[in-house]
Amino acid sequence: MPDRGIKTELRAIGAEFVKTMRIWFSYPIMLVFWAVFPLLWVLPYIFQGRALVGSGTSEAFRQLTGSGNYLAFVLIGAMISTFVFSALWGVGNSLREETYWGTMEYIIASPTHPLVILIGKTLAEWTWSTVMVLFQALIIALFFGVQFTLAKILPVLLLVILLMIGFYGFAIAFAGFTLLIKEVHGWVHTLEWIFFLFSPIRYPVQVNPITAAVSTLIPLTWALIAIRGIILLNRTEVNLYQTVLVLTLMDIVLLTAGYFLFIYLERKTRRDGTVGMH
Amino acid sequence: MADSTHPNPGPPALLCDNVVKLFRRGRGLKKKVVRALDGASLTIPQGELFGLLGPNGAGKTTLVRCIATLLIPDSGTIRLFGHDVFTDSLFCRQRIGLLTSGERTLYWKLSARDNLRFFAALYGLHGRDRDRRIDYLLELLGLREVANERLERYSSGMKQKVSLARALLHDPDILLLDEPTLGLDPQFGRFIRQFIKEELNRKQGKTILLTTHYMDEADELCDRIAFINRGKIVATRTPAEFKREIPHKEILEVRCLGQPDTTGLKHLDGIEQVQADFRDGITTLRLVMPKAEKVLSEVIELLRPQVRLLGIDVKEPTLEDVFIYMTGTSLGADTKEEIQ
Repeated sequence: MPDRGIKTELRAIGAEFVKTMRIWFSYPIMLVFWAVFPLLWVLPYIFQGRALVGSGTSEAFRQLTGSGNYLAFVLIGAMISTFVFSALWGVGNSLREETYWGTMEYIIASPTHPLVILIGKTLAEWTWSTVMVLFQALIIALFFGVQFTLAKILPVLLLVILLMIGFYGFAIAFAGFTLLIKEVHGWVHTLEWIFFLFSPIRYPVQVNPITAAVSTLIPLTWALIAIRGIILLNRTEVNLYQTVLVLTLMDIVLLTAGYFLFIYLERKTRRDGTVGMH
Repeated sequence: MADSTHPNPGPPALLCDNVVKLFRRGRGLKKKVVRALDGASLTIPQGELFGLLGPNGAGKTTLVRCIATLLIPDSGTIRLFGHDVFTDSLFCRQRIGLLTSGERTLYWKLSARDNLRFFAALYGLHGRDRDRRIDYLLELLGLREVANERLERYSSGMKQKVSLARALLHDPDILLLDEPTLGLDPQFGRFIRQFIKEELNRKQGKTILLTTHYMDEADELCDRIAFINRGKIVATRTPAEFKREIPHKEILEVRCLGQPDTTGLKHLDGIEQVQADFRDGITTLRLVMPKAEKVLSEVIELLRPQVRLLGIDVKEPTLEDVFIYMTGTSLGADTKEEIQ
């Protein structure tokens, strides 16, 4: 019997990643979708911005956010949220797929911890998201005059990684709920809209005192404010250390809570006898 | 308590002691508690091919899922080679090969080889060892030619062969085969049965727990059989011992068109048990008695005015007859018990 060490777990993550990719690529229409999606996705924002303010910039918007570039503001929010939501979809939806395929029980009955499988699924989802976000960044750079220098990219990358770690903690708790309640679309969409409302993805949350207050509890808010500061206002140092500290603390809380919640919910599912149920 | 058959030295391959599993279904006033396992106990020595025979809903699959760590029982102990399956689940999961019925247990968009590669990684196999093991299993199960084709193009029997290969990937010490031939055509069913008996049990010496509701399958394959009914192990014997349970008895099998009233039959002198199975408009009556010819004419007299008789036969008791004799339930019945 092979000994189980970190290499075994990493190979299991790799196997899950390869499997997920192979299954995606077995549907050719997916490739067409992903090829045109980044362009289709950006057009409504441009038209909406033009319709509202006549161009891509707004003085009222500058007073709220420090930058008048409304379109760049929204597109950065959309890019980062794409990453965040991919973690939710990656773990939630793919676990549902495993139950539909009838393979969930075989994963649970194997010596590999289901969290390892979740990491593989999330990596696959993030790979797609990265490709898409790179397209989006290219569009922003080409058409909205936003410059991506190394001095900007590195701190942004750090913030995105910290953000993703926290969201992975959130996502594994969500995966536990998915195992239990056997539903994912309604939950993900609800969460997406909560985040859309209470974090500055599409608008500055300062416009409403309630959204502004609630938004401080969401790591996405901290990350977006800092990332926009770096990209749009060239404020690399300002608030970066504070944001890194806040995100690190939130990561610890979310990962710990997510892990224990998942363990509890997975055990509850096995106690209820609903592992393989749809 | 678990029974005490230990022909081999060392801990038994599997020991289930007084396992209880309740399922709570519904909410509020409609809440029901289903007792799926009601103190099930059994012991399987290493190297034995053990059958768990019972009707649908008897608790066979629930017990297998508890052993495979997919379900946590409400009480009782399950030990695999002396290790508790819940406190030492990693040890146990590495030693269990699981096969369930139904073809939807694999990735249809992947080939057999890719399916096996994925599951091999979950069991810690990699590199050349993994590839050699996969090649060996594909060859053994006659899948080498189609190994790179997507499973969506496979027949049910071929998919079940891939499932069997998956169960064997990590060379497990014990195999849990839950209704392995259910829904397969006779040719594949025969292949799987022969493979289980000859290759896995006799040649490779694997301990096998096989659940089935096909009495012929249990009779043909198993060293010992446990009857399970309403979540309880009713009895454990060899197939031959079971058949001796109803000595000096004969079975009068009557097939007739329509559904006769069997009340009169039960009162005939000498008839100890009456079992009726109605399918596709035809009733098969199985009457247990010491001597069939003594009551034959009376049985015909009672039934002829009610239904059209299609055939009458005197038979030796089968495992199903023994099961009915001991439990009063047919193997074709659905016996989910609700206790609240």
